[in-house]
Amino acid sequence: MAERPEDLNLPNAVITRIIKEALPDGVNISKEARSAISRAASVFVLYATSCANNFAMKGKRKTLNASDVLSAMEEMEFQRFVTPLKEALEAYRREQKGKKEASEQKKKDKDKKTDAEEPDKSRDEDNDEEEERLEEEEQNEEEEVDN
Amino acid sequence: MAAAAAAAGSGTPREEEGPSGETAAPQPQAPTSVPGARLSRLPLARVKALVKADPDVTLAGQEAIFILARAAELFVETIAKDAYCCAQQGKRKTLQRRDLDNAIEAVDEFAFLEGYLNFRNVLSLFARSGEM
Repeated sequence: MAERPEDLNLPNAVITRIIKEALPDGVNISKEARSAISRAASVFVLYATSCANNFAMKGKRKTLNASDVLSAMEEMEFQRFVTPLKEALEAYRREQKGKKEASEQKKKDKDKKTDAEEPDKSRDEDNDEEEERLEEEEQNEEEEVDN
Repeated sequence: MAAAAAAAGSGTPREEEGPSGETAAPQPQAPTSVPGARLSRLPLARVKALVKADPDVTLAGQEAIFILARAAELFVETIAKDAYCCAQQGKRKTLQRRDLDNAIEAVDEFAFLEGYLNFRNVLSLFARSGEM
């Protein structure tokens, strides 16, 4: 699992933008300070992952979930992050739901066209859709982290 | 510089090339295409690469990766602001490395960073992560 060190860094441009937006106008940041912050963010993720994993193991689960990460934040004394993170999670879930519905709608529209030609087939296709949706859900919920 | 930042912001998918090639499922993308719905600026694939680096982690759900990305952003904002307080006291308008070091020493929550800002130490984290 040879990860190059650069891959474990978060993109400089994004880090810089987040920093600049957090600070008042006219404030600059030296290159050393910026790359130190970037590295600190990587360490933060690693540490949070490790803490979250402890919660998952306590719950006898093999998959890290959102609540594990939130528990980790509290454990790490970053309680002030918990509320904004919960809000972000809600928005993210809504958006994922919206995306799924949008793609399902597309499929339905596509089916309607074929319906006009062969009405009997649609019943089977509906079942296929359901299976596909379930599979997608599984894939979406569990990203494999093979080690 | 602003142009580069803007390009990088809208071009997040570009940065997702790299170590995330082995998973079969489609990569969770930061939603940059829908205006106003940009929930995370950090590319989820990079965050996922960090999570995968921990040998104790078996699987991580998509939501967990997303929250970690968002938490990392909040962390960057927080530490930048705390470091800026130090720079302000020195009446400087440029954040220096020493401001960061001071903030880490001064703020309890940043204690986990002490000594870890050398990249060699970060790599050693992977060997030691079982002890964390």
